[in-house]
Amino acid sequence: LKKLDIPQGTLELMILTILNREPLHGYGISQKLATLSHDVFQVNPGSLFPALYALEEDGKLKAEWRPSENNRNAKYYKLTAAGRKYLDQHRDRWKRVAFAITNVLEGA
Amino acid sequence: MIVLHRLRSLLRWLFRRKNVEQELHDELQTFVELSAAENIKAGLSPEEARRRAQLDLRGVEQTKERVRTRRWGAWVDEIAQDVRYALRGYLRNPGLTIAILLTLALGIGANTAIFSLTDALMLQWLPVDKPEELMQLKMRPADAKEPFDTFSYDIVRAIAGQSRIFDGVAGFSGAMTFNVGLSGNMSKIPVTMVTGGYYKTLGLKPALGRLLNEEDDKKDSPPIAVISYGYWERQFAQQAGVLGQTVLLNGMPVTIVGVSAKGFTSPNVGQTSDITLPIAALPHVNPKAASLLGPGNFWLRMLARPSEGMSIASVQAYLASVWPGLAEQVISPRWSPDRRKAMAAASFVLMAGGTGWTPLRAMYKKPLAVLSAIVGLVLLIACFNIAGLQLARGFSRQRETAVRLAIGAGRGRLIRQFLIESTLLSFIASLFGVGLAWVSSTVLVNMIMPAFPISLDLTPNLHVLGFTALIAIATGILFGVLPALQISRGDASSVLNEVARIAGTRSRLIPGLVTLQVAVSLVLLIAASLFIRTLQNLQNLDMGFGHDGVLLVTFEDAAKFRNELVDEIRGISGVVSASISTNTPLSGGLWTEPAVPAGQSLPQRDTAIFIGAGPRYFETLLTPLVSGRGFSERDSADSAPVAVISEALARRYFAGTNPVGQYISTTARVGPVEPGKARNVEVVGVAKDTVAAGLRRDAYPAVYVPYVQLKGTFPLTLEVRISGSLTASASALRAFLQPRLPDTVIEVRPLSIQVEGAMAQERVMATFAGAFAVLALMLACIGLYGLLAYDVARRTKEIGIRMSLGAHQKTVIANIVKSAAWLLLLGVVVAVPAAWAASRWVQSLLFGIKATDPVAIGEAVLLMMLVGFAAAYIPARRASRIDPLEALRHE
Repeated sequence: LKKLDIPQGTLELMILTILNREPLHGYGISQKLATLSHDVFQVNPGSLFPALYALEEDGKLKAEWRPSENNRNAKYYKLTAAGRKYLDQHRDRWKRVAFAITNVLEGA
Repeated sequence: MIVLHRLRSLLRWLFRRKNVEQELHDELQTFVELSAAENIKAGLSPEEARRRAQLDLRGVEQTKERVRTRRWGAWVDEIAQDVRYALRGYLRNPGLTIAILLTLALGIGANTAIFSLTDALMLQWLPVDKPEELMQLKMRPADAKEPFDTFSYDIVRAIAGQSRIFDGVAGFSGAMTFNVGLSGNMSKIPVTMVTGGYYKTLGLKPALGRLLNEEDDKKDSPPIAVISYGYWERQFAQQAGVLGQTVLLNGMPVTIVGVSAKGFTSPNVGQTSDITLPIAALPHVNPKAASLLGPGNFWLRMLARPSEGMSIASVQAYLASVWPGLAEQVISPRWSPDRRKAMAAASFVLMAGGTGWTPLRAMYKKPLAVLSAIVGLVLLIACFNIAGLQLARGFSRQRETAVRLAIGAGRGRLIRQFLIESTLLSFIASLFGVGLAWVSSTVLVNMIMPAFPISLDLTPNLHVLGFTALIAIATGILFGVLPALQISRGDASSVLNEVARIAGTRSRLIPGLVTLQVAVSLVLLIAASLFIRTLQNLQNLDMGFGHDGVLLVTFEDAAKFRNELVDEIRGISGVVSASISTNTPLSGGLWTEPAVPAGQSLPQRDTAIFIGAGPRYFETLLTPLVSGRGFSERDSADSAPVAVISEALARRYFAGTNPVGQYISTTARVGPVEPGKARNVEVVGVAKDTVAAGLRRDAYPAVYVPYVQLKGTFPLTLEVRISGSLTASASALRAFLQPRLPDTVIEVRPLSIQVEGAMAQERVMATFAGAFAVLALMLACIGLYGLLAYDVARRTKEIGIRMSLGAHQKTVIANIVKSAAWLLLLGVVVAVPAAWAASRWVQSLLFGIKATDPVAIGEAVLLMMLVGFAAAYIPARRASRIDPLEALRHE
């Protein structure tokens, strides 16, 4: 199956959703995204890291260095209160948008 | 709050760059290794796993760069880079950089200096509450064109009573000087007389004690005073005990009740005031001036604070409705019915008053505007000059620019780089400029009114710094944008391929810029020539009196001066002659009265200047008598009243006859006659005309009368003609007078200061226009020199070939001088019509010369040409010395 590009503006939302469950490092996020999207989406690190830095800069994420599963030091990202609030607001919006698009495409 | 997060991140990127970069690097490395570990798990060899992982990342460095540029405020970073790059470039070329900085500092400094004086004189708010609400009241009588701004005490009080339209009305005098302190130890202190509503209207709070109020400004209120914060510091060492203390004003006790807020002294801009008194206290401290409170004396200016919601129009409408009724009570009943009618029909004019009042504003509005234009043009020349230098430098940077274009820098980025370089320079220069301005504006202030001390705060304030920053940016853009556009033009490959050819071409912009510099500096030279001639014309004016070697001492209270003192003064060594008079030429004060030949009816208006003079007045001031005699001891209080008239009066009324022995009729109070009536006075002499009324005015008819025959109180000035050192005689005179007049402060000043004061404005214009024109001339010639020198350097090879083919040295020089001549000529062609067009604007500032004076213009053109050719000769000579062999080996 051919992998798809991530629609504009949704990468941030997906990162926040993933981090809402547990803090993860960059590689973990990219893996999780692949799993959760059933390998439809594959994020390129060249897009992932700028997005992560931008979210951190806006105070939606916080990062800390700690040992990873195989004992390497990795930078773990965690949602902040502001990030959670942003996520809540925008997830509902996206769900409605996605639902509406589906409806339109299926001619319901 | 997002902004705070972003700011923190920005600061981290700026100041913790190493940490941030290291962290980013580590993070990406972790990514690669985690990814590789996963690949190994999937069964790949470690090397292959790593290679794939790195491939996944598609270049660590590219990802880093995307992170860097995506973040907020990345531009700050880029600009910081540009600034570092610019600084490195400038440091590599320190000579050029210093030359540019110096040029800019002078240009920006000159603009800042003129602006800070303009700001201090015209724009600064008074340090009072909500100054923008304050209105200055003026009044235009029905028969007058221009409104006047001084009012009688009664009018101010009547207007202050209009509480429906005004929250407060303040009446205040100009700075008056009082002798303050104990007999034998007095000093002259500036005092402002104010109405009771003064402090309330201005909304001021005391620093100590209380301020004046309506109760204090009532007849028979105890005499009290408020002192300024500065006076409290200087005289009372800020002691709280100053409250309730008594100061002696003219020997009369006045109680200090308060200290006004720091920074405020009076609404008279440029004049400090140490003591503020209610007007009702004036008869107490100066009984002779009590008449100032009468309805005929207009001496108080008015500031009013309209009530909330009151527009200017509604205030005017209200005043128009109540004024005729008020006028009935407050206009002097002694005035003629016509005059009273015109006053009752007067209309009020309201103008913004929050910036206070000063006579300097009217005097210097035009000169400051002209000087602003001049310094603006100087800065323009500086910009053209530096743009030329940058262009020349830019061509040598063409390869660098081409490389940057080739590796992908956008044209926008390159232009930004140039603009950052130029604004960086102009900002550094403006720092020096502000310092320069501070010093030079102080010099300027000391020149604008030599006869009076002016105190203006010229410390660079926010206005001034803002102005400087603005012109620094404008300057930077102006001299940066031309080179930027010119040099970043064209695409990379063609530039790289044709570097050699392009380096050989020469921009048409540079000669254009030099022509403009020549033209603008020529306009400034013409202006300077006009202003310098104006000053010379005034200095060479036949004033009708000798102003060198005369010392003056003025006594406000003439009664304290005994006439015998004059005889004693004549005995002091070094004194040639001494006399007294009511006023001295160009003192600024004039006494005028109607005067006509006896038998004619006296006109309503004043027709002559009157001067009360003592024996030997004409000898002392060296005013020649054309016929008849001057005054002597024979003219006493009891003898028949006599007068000496000026030639102008003789011409007007006694044309063709000898006025000596005839009579004039006047209301001036001369001789033993009833006041208020005309009397006849015998003319005993005719004196040469003087410029007593003002340098620029035509000779005004004057009548001199013996001081001793005057009835009433008049000021008295002692004039002493000295041979030898003025300073030595001045101290001798003071040492002689002070013990004999312990109740007066003896201030000796030379008459020449008064004369200089009368031409202060012209001196300011001549000095500054001259200095700026020289600066402009220098800049233009440096520009011309630079262009030719650059040309010669560029054409070394060509000139070498020509000379090896037999071209003569002289031909080479002639060629280069010819190209300079074309530039200069073009500049003249542009400048002369421009100067012509601008001439009407400055005509009113000139004296004895027309703004289109061909000699002045010709002189300026000649000077420009001479200096221009001198600048051209240096590179021309260098070209003629080129050794053909050397030149050809060059490449």
